[in-house]
Amino acid sequence: MTDKKTGQPIPRNPTLGEKLRHLLISQEGVLFVIMLVSVLFLATRTDKFLTVDNLLQQGRFMTEVGLIAIPMTYIIITGGIDLSVGSILGLTAIVLGWTWQELGFPLELAIVTGILSGTLAGFVNGLFIVRVGVPPLIMTLATLALYRGLAEGISEARSARGYPEWFFQLGQGEFLGIPTQLWLLIIAVIVFGIVLARTRLGRALYAIGNNELGARFSGLTVNRHLLFIYTFSGFMAGVAGYIFVSRVSTTRSDMGTGIELDVIAAVVLGGTSIFGGTGSIPGTIIGVVLIQLLKNGLTLSGVTSDATIVVIGSVLIFAILVNNFIQSRREES
Amino acid sequence: MSDALLQLRGIDKHFPGVHALKDARFDVRRGEVHALIGENGAGKSTMIKIVSGVYQPDTGEILLDGRRVEFSNPREAHAAGIATIYQELGLYPELSVAENIFMGHAPTMKRFGLRAIDWEAMEQGAAALLAELNIHNLDVGAKVGTLNVGNRQRVEIAKALSLDAQILIMDEPTAALTESDVEQLFSIVRLLRERGVSIIYISHRLNEVFELADRVTVLRDGDYIGTQDVSATSEGELISMMVGRTIENLFPKQVAEIGDVVLEVRNLNRPPLTRDISFSVRAGEIVGLAGLVGSGRSETAQVIFGVLPAESGEILLNGQPVKISRPSEAVDHGIGYVPEDRGHQGLIREMTIRENTSMAVLELVSKNTFISRAKERVLANHSIRQLSIRATGPDQTANKLSGGNQQKVVVSKWLASSPKLLIMDEPTRGVDVGAKSEIHRLMSQLAAEQGLAILMISSELPEILGMSDRVLVMREGRLVGEFTREEATQELIAHAMMSATPAVTSDVGATL
Repeated sequence: MTDKKTGQPIPRNPTLGEKLRHLLISQEGVLFVIMLVSVLFLATRTDKFLTVDNLLQQGRFMTEVGLIAIPMTYIIITGGIDLSVGSILGLTAIVLGWTWQELGFPLELAIVTGILSGTLAGFVNGLFIVRVGVPPLIMTLATLALYRGLAEGISEARSARGYPEWFFQLGQGEFLGIPTQLWLLIIAVIVFGIVLARTRLGRALYAIGNNELGARFSGLTVNRHLLFIYTFSGFMAGVAGYIFVSRVSTTRSDMGTGIELDVIAAVVLGGTSIFGGTGSIPGTIIGVVLIQLLKNGLTLSGVTSDATIVVIGSVLIFAILVNNFIQSRREES
Repeated sequence: MSDALLQLRGIDKHFPGVHALKDARFDVRRGEVHALIGENGAGKSTMIKIVSGVYQPDTGEILLDGRRVEFSNPREAHAAGIATIYQELGLYPELSVAENIFMGHAPTMKRFGLRAIDWEAMEQGAAALLAELNIHNLDVGAKVGTLNVGNRQRVEIAKALSLDAQILIMDEPTAALTESDVEQLFSIVRLLRERGVSIIYISHRLNEVFELADRVTVLRDGDYIGTQDVSATSEGELISMMVGRTIENLFPKQVAEIGDVVLEVRNLNRPPLTRDISFSVRAGEIVGLAGLVGSGRSETAQVIFGVLPAESGEILLNGQPVKISRPSEAVDHGIGYVPEDRGHQGLIREMTIRENTSMAVLELVSKNTFISRAKERVLANHSIRQLSIRATGPDQTANKLSGGNQQKVVVSKWLASSPKLLIMDEPTRGVDVGAKSEIHRLMSQLAAEQGLAILMISSELPEILGMSDRVLVMREGRLVGEFTREEATQELIAHAMMSATPAVTSDVGATL
């Protein structure tokens, strides 16, 4: 079908069937199918896995990774990375506990101070990346050590405990039968998913990731956007730190160690290219859920923890291979 | 044709949404330079990619020396003696000239019972190959990354010869070369022809075709149009074969009413390439900025656009002094900039036409920061029509477009922002004849009908002379001449561009 005047093909609107098919062979669609297959398989191995209680409990455990994975998706889409999120989580937790217990802040103020210090830590990352031009990998690798060191220095290896009852509502309580923090994650996923997919901010992030110079030459405020997402990353790591403390009832300086790798694994599994330019929040969240369910299901099936890691690694590679295969077939057709 | 070394017959190739080649044919004789020309998107690239094994034709056959061959990948074409010199050079910058030439087939010797690279033989072999090409001033031990573009290209040619190539494909080989490098390339091409190597030569520059080629084949929109002996054709005939119409007026300049001063810069400074620059551009006026490569034209444009903010001096828009320290501020003030490097600065190639055309006007296609794809699509469709962009639709990736159409997308991005001033840096470089005259017509129309002020940087003097109401000339970061449309001649401008005498700047700007 071509336009008579210009000789150009006229695009027609896709039918519902085509749309469904398109959705199914999208990155997220493929991943979702892999997740369903994994869940069904795990359900046959143990009857403790596919229960409402267990699944909600897993939702509790994955909230921290999920919250941090949202800004990480933004950052990786721009072609950057933030390795310091685990240390920022730890720093936030320590500042929270320390200002409350040692400095005698009211607990509410201590929470705000903790999250603010996490936000500040992210802002410092962004400032050096944007103003001084330090590559994100180097900058956040440095602050990964620096912020953890700060946390340890402030805490002097003591842990803060003895929080009042209301403080545990977020990390251990429920609201309408669902773990409180899971509500927070669900809301954040919806809001920031829409922000990425539909707003000018989201568009700018994709543009920066595909061609930073081109984005700059189009008049986009590249530096401002980058500064924002690293600050946002610090903020979310701070919120995750607060939830973490509330969930485990204590504050220790090694909290969140290594969480950056879980987060990055989930983001990349979710179809975000490590080279920037592509990715989505739905993909990321499926990645987070898939990893958490595999961990839990395998453990419940009696698989040892060493073997669990091996299986998860294999599933990651498998998922990426299947996705690459389908996406390249799709490009050809 | 019995003396054909390579013959392609009945070649058909489809891509999603595009019928790239339709029953095309092409043949190359032993020891000839055969030029392949056509507008961007005519199918030249597809044709050479089929010859070099990158693509496989849907139907049709390839005969090499009378025998039917099929290349399922570039390696097989290589083995059959077909080598390609790409525009984006396929060399390893960290390795030496000799290592690059013998990459993958280095001479070896036995040492300690192992096969080891015979470095001495390799260096001698490399030097011998270069000597055969009459290249004597190239150190085979030098890292390729330290060489200039011309020398790198010579290394690529030597590499192809080290593989005993019988057919050499050159895709726009002069695009990035300086004048003297071009001369040397031509003499190498002639040398190779004498030795019986066949050369498929792709170029946008018709004068090169006449200087170098024996025969020329023209493609248009995937159709084979014809093959001519160069001695029996003319530039006019080739152009009309390429575009399917005769271009009567190459530079369709309309008479425009020149209005008020839109842009005025005073003593703009950012050494070394922008020194004490003062000039103005009026509404409806096209001001051409001429100069040699490296004279500071693009840098001055980027000072105005805020990419390289000025260290001192004033920028006035519509008489109001403004401060521009980043591109976003320039855009806010109504300045658009079509940059020289389309691939890296102008476009986001991985994104769609729709996303590219709205890139500078996101606030216009969005409501409360939410982007409306419907509005974007309307905008993109409007651009596609206005600039006759050849695409399958607004959601086609910019990458998939030909060079000329990519350039139109960049132009449409800035037109969408309804600028007061449009800076166009080499607006038609690497663009085919048809798209070129379309862009020229559009520029002229925008100036005459909408009163747009245009500052056009170009290295092509005919373009400068054909399009400009006024011509400014830069040399070594300074403005060194100004001519009205009536005064300007090739000689005057070229003299101002290259003259060694110190610039007389006193009368420049005084008349503005």
